[in-house]
Amino acid sequence: MSKKSRKLIRAAAVEPVAPAAQVALDPEPAAEPVEPEREFYFVPAFEPVEVDEKELHDQIKQWRHGRATRTLGQVLSDGYIALFAVVLLGAMLGNVLVQAQSGAAACTTTECGVARLMMPTAMVLAGYALTLSAGRLFGPVLASAAEGFWLMDAPLRRRRLLRARLVLPVVLAGVLTAALTALVAALSGMDAVGLGLWTAAAGAGSAALMALAGAEQAIERTTGVRSVLWLFGIGTLAVLLLVVSIAAGWVPASIAASAETVRWAVVGLLAAAVAGLVLWLSLALRRLERIRRARLLSGGSLVAGMQGAMFALDFGLIRDILVEREAAARGHVRPVRGRGLGVWALVWRDLQRLGRFPKPWIGLAVSLVVPYAADALRMSQLNPLVSGLALFIALVPFLGSLRVLTRSGGMARSLPFKTSTLRSAAMLVPAGLALLWAVLVTPAFIGIAQTGADRSVVGGLTTALVTGLAGVLGGVRWVTAKQPDFGVPMMATPGGAMPPTLMFNLLRGIDVVAVVTAPLIMGAPATWSLGIALVVFVLLRGTFNMDELKAEQEALKREQQTQAREKIRVTRSTR
Amino acid sequence: MAKRASVLKVTGLRKAFGPVVIIDGFDLEIRAGEAVALTGRNGAGKSTVLRCVVGAERPDEGTVTVNGVTVSETNPQIRRDVATVIDDLDFFPDLSVVEHLDLLARAHGIPDAEAAVDEVLHEVQLVAQSGQLPATLSSGQRRRLALATAFVRPRSLLILDEPEQRLDTEGVQWLAQRLQAERARGLAILMASHEPSLVKAVATREVRLAGAALAPEPAEAE
Repeated sequence: MSKKSRKLIRAAAVEPVAPAAQVALDPEPAAEPVEPEREFYFVPAFEPVEVDEKELHDQIKQWRHGRATRTLGQVLSDGYIALFAVVLLGAMLGNVLVQAQSGAAACTTTECGVARLMMPTAMVLAGYALTLSAGRLFGPVLASAAEGFWLMDAPLRRRRLLRARLVLPVVLAGVLTAALTALVAALSGMDAVGLGLWTAAAGAGSAALMALAGAEQAIERTTGVRSVLWLFGIGTLAVLLLVVSIAAGWVPASIAASAETVRWAVVGLLAAAVAGLVLWLSLALRRLERIRRARLLSGGSLVAGMQGAMFALDFGLIRDILVEREAAARGHVRPVRGRGLGVWALVWRDLQRLGRFPKPWIGLAVSLVVPYAADALRMSQLNPLVSGLALFIALVPFLGSLRVLTRSGGMARSLPFKTSTLRSAAMLVPAGLALLWAVLVTPAFIGIAQTGADRSVVGGLTTALVTGLAGVLGGVRWVTAKQPDFGVPMMATPGGAMPPTLMFNLLRGIDVVAVVTAPLIMGAPATWSLGIALVVFVLLRGTFNMDELKAEQEALKREQQTQAREKIRVTRSTR
Repeated sequence: MAKRASVLKVTGLRKAFGPVVIIDGFDLEIRAGEAVALTGRNGAGKSTVLRCVVGAERPDEGTVTVNGVTVSETNPQIRRDVATVIDDLDFFPDLSVVEHLDLLARAHGIPDAEAAVDEVLHEVQLVAQSGQLPATLSSGQRRRLALATAFVRPRSLLILDEPEQRLDTEGVQWLAQRLQAERARGLAILMASHEPSLVKAVATREVRLAGAALAPEPAEAE
């Protein structure tokens, strides 16, 4: 701080520097304030002129552009690191695609081939489900709080103002789903015509479903979209199970339709998707006039909150926002009596949560399929890592109580336990789920496919247990990680100053899964993985919480300093 | 009359944020049955003192003890003795109002938790909202729930940061009576407040904080 600033702050200070003073309770009565006379302005009566919404929108756009501090060229030249990253990732992706194509050549059995070719179907269904889910979550038509306040209150035609807001998510949904489907189809070794057809059907279908979500948003009807969303979700799971069953030889490959039939079905799907897109988009555009401001702003505030969290790469905060939103939508629950005393009361509440919000069970059910799919698709070497990551993602919603106890000190301070006891209690139910998961997926680690893993029962069970441990510990690491501290010395990067912890936020959770499963992947004995998992557990439960130890040390030091000062005072007074 | 036992002892507390000294050389002792109100303008350091006292903020100098134990936010003994209602109380998004209180009562080992929860729930007038999730409560109801979390559990020191915030007039009156009753039962109270009627009704002592000051500049080298 400069000398000038210090002087200015000093001049502004009204009170003299006297940190604390004890005063009598009864202050003197204050004099009655005299209200000054005021003059008020009222808008004179006038004939309103018609507003051109497009012109207004263009003007806002112009203001925004006028406030930009950098041109697109400058942004691109500054972001050369990002460009390098894109090129590097592109090269890696290309390499993976080439390897996948050669892998497809090695996938000689009919079962393996059919299973691989069913992956695009699963991708399309998952893409449709995700589109509807995102559409429902954000609106899909949304407006910022400022737009809601300044524009939506004015007598404007909302359809003209919001048209682009509807078209953008529709296009985005189409492009993203198409790109992902193209990638999966290419990885599956599909030919060019098939790839083009699948990509077009996926893109058009997703765009149509986003338009449907927009049409339903305006009339505030959710039942239809929710039903279709469930249908696609269940469809995805069913296809994944079929893929595993065929690849494992449990179901004959003949059950799947021939390639020619599938191709015609995809053509039909594409035609239906285009028709749906035209119909629902025109319906949604017509209904934009009826859309309520509150409905637009809710998506806008969600995006603003998520944007803020994204700047800090705080995915935990993003999840918190979504959880809070879901709880607000639910609003009320039937209270259930607690059980147990002490720390067991906390464990009981975690158990009770399992039935209260059933949605996380879907994720856990999907994660059960992953080890089987990985083994069936000749990925048994990487199976612990892939399945551990899937379980880690699936377990995060079950770690809600640990999240609340660690994200701020308030609730933990109200409970009379050590931090390590609290954390262990909050981990107990998710750990139980991970154990159950490990038992259920043990056959996948023993080996289900002819070309998959070949382990003994004990070996398979140990591998499954280590994978389960990796998943739950990854989840714990993810929910307990601290937000980046912008108060610490920053790290100089080509992208600007950055707190060191910000970079690691991207990897939190994934790092634990990778470290715990690494010995298994490299062919080392499972005991190594168990040992690493034990060390990670001890660190994560806060047994040696460095912050706590530091705080205790500092408190002790302060106490000693105070005692020393007291001694000096006593010595001086006796002189 | 015998002197009551000292519950909270703060000695030489100093806290600065950069060059701005929020509090310096702050001493305070609160005995059982006493209530001390911290008053002063916004930014005077009331919340900072409370946060240092509960261990949420680390002081630069000085010590804070509760019942003779040095305060650390993570010490179970301190967590047992000190009930706090400051701005960082977090709620479980999936537990209802009554379930929060039930969890706290059981965690503190209250044998008849249900009866205790019912009593407190009636008192804070949240019976109708007992099944609601915290996300749907109004700001005033959230404040009542926060206060209820402090009253449903055993404690020897109660720390409140502007507890009157967002409460209606009737609510402030209830709070004043409740805190008077707490004091009469021998509980020590430290609170920050902007509400003169609450301070007058509850506090046995008022400590007015003057506010932040800049640390003296280090002497420049010749």
